[in-house]
Amino acid sequence: MSRGFDAITLEVLWTRLISVVDEAAKAIVRTSFSTLSNEANDFACMLTDARGYSLAQNTGSIPSFIGTLPATVRHFLRAMGVAAMRPGDVLITNDAWMGTGHMSDVSVLKPLFRAGRLVAFSATTSHMPDIGGRLRAIEAREVFEEGLHIPLMKLVREGRTDETLIEMIRANVRTPDQTMGDIWAQVGANELMERRLLALMDDGRLDSLDDLSDELFARAEGAMRAAIRAVPDATYRYAMRTDGVDEPLDYQVALTIAGDEVTADYTGTSSQQPRAINCVLAYTYAMTAYAIKCALLPGLANNEGMYRPVRVTAPEGCLLNPRFPAAVVSRAVTGHYVPVLLFGALHQVIPDRVAAGAGSPLWAVQQTGLRADGRPYTNIFFFNGGMGATAVKDGESVLSWPSNISSTPVEVAERNSPLFFHEKRLRPGLGGAGRFRGGLGQDIVIECESDAPIVASFMAERTKFSAPGFAGGDDGGLGDVQINGHSIDNRRQHVLKRGDVILVRTPGGGGYGSAAQRDLTLAERDRALGYV
Amino acid sequence: MDEFIDTITPSYALGIDIGGTFTDIVVYDHDSGRQWSRKVLTTHDDPVRAVAAGVATVLADGHLEPRHFTRVVHATTLFTNALIERKGAVTGLITTAGFGDTLEIGRERKFELYDLNIAKPEPLVPRNLRREVAERVKADGSVRQPLDREQLLASVERLAAAGVASIAVVFLHAYANPRHEAEAVQLIAERQPKVFVTASHEVAPEIREFERASTTVANAYIKPLAHQYLGRMARQLAEQRIPAPLLLMLSSGGLTHVAEAQRAPVQMLESGPAAGAIAAAFFGRGDKGGNLLAFDMGGTTAKLSLIDGGEPLTAYSFEAARQKRFIEGSGLPMRISTIELIEIGAGGGSIAHVDEIGLLKVGPRSAGSQPGPACYGLGGTEATVTDADLVLGYLNRDPRDYALLCTGGAGPVHACHVARKLGLREVICPPSAGVASALGLLVAPARVDRVATVGIRLDRGDCAALEAAFRALEDDARAVMADTGLKLETARFQRLADGRFLGQGFDLVVSLPDGPYDRRDAAATRRALTSAFEAAYREKFSLTLPDVPVEFINIRVAVRAPVAGSEVVLQGRPRGGSEEPVKGRRPAWFPEAGGFVETTVYDRARLAVGDRFTGPAVIEEEGSTLVVGPGASFAVAPTGNVIVTLTP
Repeated sequence: MSRGFDAITLEVLWTRLISVVDEAAKAIVRTSFSTLSNEANDFACMLTDARGYSLAQNTGSIPSFIGTLPATVRHFLRAMGVAAMRPGDVLITNDAWMGTGHMSDVSVLKPLFRAGRLVAFSATTSHMPDIGGRLRAIEAREVFEEGLHIPLMKLVREGRTDETLIEMIRANVRTPDQTMGDIWAQVGANELMERRLLALMDDGRLDSLDDLSDELFARAEGAMRAAIRAVPDATYRYAMRTDGVDEPLDYQVALTIAGDEVTADYTGTSSQQPRAINCVLAYTYAMTAYAIKCALLPGLANNEGMYRPVRVTAPEGCLLNPRFPAAVVSRAVTGHYVPVLLFGALHQVIPDRVAAGAGSPLWAVQQTGLRADGRPYTNIFFFNGGMGATAVKDGESVLSWPSNISSTPVEVAERNSPLFFHEKRLRPGLGGAGRFRGGLGQDIVIECESDAPIVASFMAERTKFSAPGFAGGDDGGLGDVQINGHSIDNRRQHVLKRGDVILVRTPGGGGYGSAAQRDLTLAERDRALGYV
Repeated sequence: MDEFIDTITPSYALGIDIGGTFTDIVVYDHDSGRQWSRKVLTTHDDPVRAVAAGVATVLADGHLEPRHFTRVVHATTLFTNALIERKGAVTGLITTAGFGDTLEIGRERKFELYDLNIAKPEPLVPRNLRREVAERVKADGSVRQPLDREQLLASVERLAAAGVASIAVVFLHAYANPRHEAEAVQLIAERQPKVFVTASHEVAPEIREFERASTTVANAYIKPLAHQYLGRMARQLAEQRIPAPLLLMLSSGGLTHVAEAQRAPVQMLESGPAAGAIAAAFFGRGDKGGNLLAFDMGGTTAKLSLIDGGEPLTAYSFEAARQKRFIEGSGLPMRISTIELIEIGAGGGSIAHVDEIGLLKVGPRSAGSQPGPACYGLGGTEATVTDADLVLGYLNRDPRDYALLCTGGAGPVHACHVARKLGLREVICPPSAGVASALGLLVAPARVDRVATVGIRLDRGDCAALEAAFRALEDDARAVMADTGLKLETARFQRLADGRFLGQGFDLVVSLPDGPYDRRDAAATRRALTSAFEAAYREKFSLTLPDVPVEFINIRVAVRAPVAGSEVVLQGRPRGGSEEPVKGRRPAWFPEAGGFVETTVYDRARLAVGDRFTGPAVIEEEGSTLVVGPGASFAVAPTGNVIVTLTP
């Protein structure tokens, strides 16, 4: 406690930092072109200290970016060194291993200086409307097929924009105006965080953030260590099988609690795949940290300190730690299984602080084609399944978990694409039965109204292996993708012509506890409201 | 003739503000500038009862004749409470086939990331009271499938049999073409004339089906209550022989008549807090060009609103009945015009606690009427500062251009500290700050807001159609204005649009040049509208403008008309007599001084216009206490406001 911050000052400064990133997030929502940012919430804003340790991220941000973005800042620090960073620089990358796990997310950072000294980084990451390459197909075998790779670079050097880099980006993406529009929206958000942070430092008479961040990290770390210490020491194991591509995939974790530290070892998980479903270690780490926090310390805002007692290991070449140049664009369909895996392990020791399996990973339907006026369009709709039940309540129906991605409103989707929605409604019976029931998934029925063919690809999981119930609860119901009434191989692209009808059925969450113990009032309510 | 009568007949205005705990009754005498007020306990089982008793008492106390009342304005939290406590009518919902669950599914996002026991807000209409009907309008407004009238009537019968008192109708793309909804409303009215009906295009004709449905259903849910309650209130006043028509305060800060409020009571959800902002704008109109940050801190909440040039800022959506008070996304989205009110947590009675890592948190739990915790003030205002900062920052305002106007029981206590933290130089504390907001009812203009989704591109859209759409909204608004029966001064028609660069997903609401637009010179109209949008966009986001056409998604019309006879004159106490304003001295704790300082205590009732003193000072009046720090000075303005000047 080098500067001796009192509890009130600390709370105020931390809250203000969170306000700064929340304000930047609002600006991104308002100024971005990608529906992924402005409707779906697929972006994040963050402030780190000068060492790249996370101080605050926007309140609504998604778990993956919370974990990966500070690591991206530290990669820049390692690669460029502090000396090479100048006031007025803007840094950019979409490297999958050093970024968010796939190249669709572009990270834009700004080193922030005060009195000539580096004091912090503002950082944003945002899912681009398009980054070139093959469309989000899982058929890609190498990352080279997945679009333009922007290594760790400077987009702006001391206030001067690198026009060559911009030309390169524009020439390599399908939607140059939108992609660059979104990158500039990120730059704007970074500058906004810069202005606010410097004003805050003036106000609080802070020359550096080091003392403040050390104090905040130390307190958060202490709280996390105390929470871990309260769980009995042992190694807890859990295994799970999932849909896979040609063959099912196996997931395994050995979760070791030793004193005040926790280690998740994913040895035994399937090898990396020649498909775009590999999940880089940074993403695996983010999902691990998310699950641990949900179970052990859900009420506290995030910062770096919370992650210090959490370790992750996975053999190189494993699905959860693939080697370059593995294809990775759909890494969410792998990474989103990780929290369920950890809950399976933790359920053995803290059964009332975890949730049963969720009807996730995130689902998506991506389309590309031509509009009526001949302009090309590409679009992605996200959909979610049901949450798993817990020891105290039913899982919520149709709620994004572990991610936090909204669906696009049907009225907006119909305006932006030549598609017609016949239905989007809860699918009764998909929630796993139990003392507490899993959340329901949904049915979405979409008709192609385009005369030009539309190429559709899908992110669809738990169509073969359902979300596990816990403590005797039933598994959640399976998802499905159909075209014209027939289930299809959702691992391939499909060409839609006018009149074709897609059914997307997202899976339900697992139940918790035996169905025989279900409260009669709840059971009656389920029948009356048609949830079962 | 009117003028002649005015000179010989007294003219009183009556304000009635029903809150969760108290009902405030305020009478203002336009001739003498005198005020009478009365606080009575709200009677929750029948709120009109407390009003009747309170009004009777005020009349008796002041020896006032009911027939001299020329204005009655009412605000109430009754409808908001009905939503929060889920005490509205049994409501049914009829939707386009395939979309009966939209209301329950929502936007699929968690409002709390780490809570595994998260619960979405319970929909106001349960699944068994939601019926789907075959019909379909497309995004461009064309009809793909006509309304199945038989199926609709069968659904209505089933809902009626299930006991619904009110029905909401929400069809996809009804903002683009309301024909099917209008047809449904008519059929329901014919078949079940006693059932209340609300169609989405009538209350929130805007794109995004979930938000529109949420607003429509909320309206349907409180409509029977509003109908009964407002009717009873009007009759009660008539029985007390008050001839003036009952007017209602809207969330937008404007007034409307009973029929409009009964038609769309969802517009009244924030009527009480809106009155507070209007009052602040009024009290502070002479200072800083009317640029104010209105800070209202009561027992459980503190609220902020920004007032620019005397006009409170308007927002076009908000959340009602949040499950977690300060967490965005945990409430029911409402797409209606409202004064931008930011609830910044902690009121004076909030409970402070220490969290898992030893940081001090304030609220959201409140001590209610119990004695508050020892250190609430400090943490409470600090949390407030954070959010105020955000408000000012997000709007790119320079705090030095603003004065902080404080109201509410706890507002004056913390105002100077908050202002200092925000970099504001001036604090305004109106007389009777504790009950100031009720007076806002009596100075509000009549106001009508209308919106329509148009989806017009400015580079090639039909400008004549745009002008026609604006005119249609203005005609509708004008008709509602005419029905208020008020003596309106000149009405001001403001045109606005929710615009974006083509391809963006969210809109920025911008003010447009006044109409009408030249139908023949489309090029000039395009230029004027585009540059209005671009200027607002640049100011808001300080971003390079993308080289992309501008699109207007929604257009809006806000019509405001000052009401004749609403002049309220503020008058401070003249100097004279020999009453000593100093009551005594006592030590008080000031964070900027780092400890306790000997402080002068003043009695506000004995302060006169022109009095000028320096801090540290505590100025006491009934219902609130103004705290002035060391180094600051304060003076009593001719209006009776105390103006505190802070040293930078």
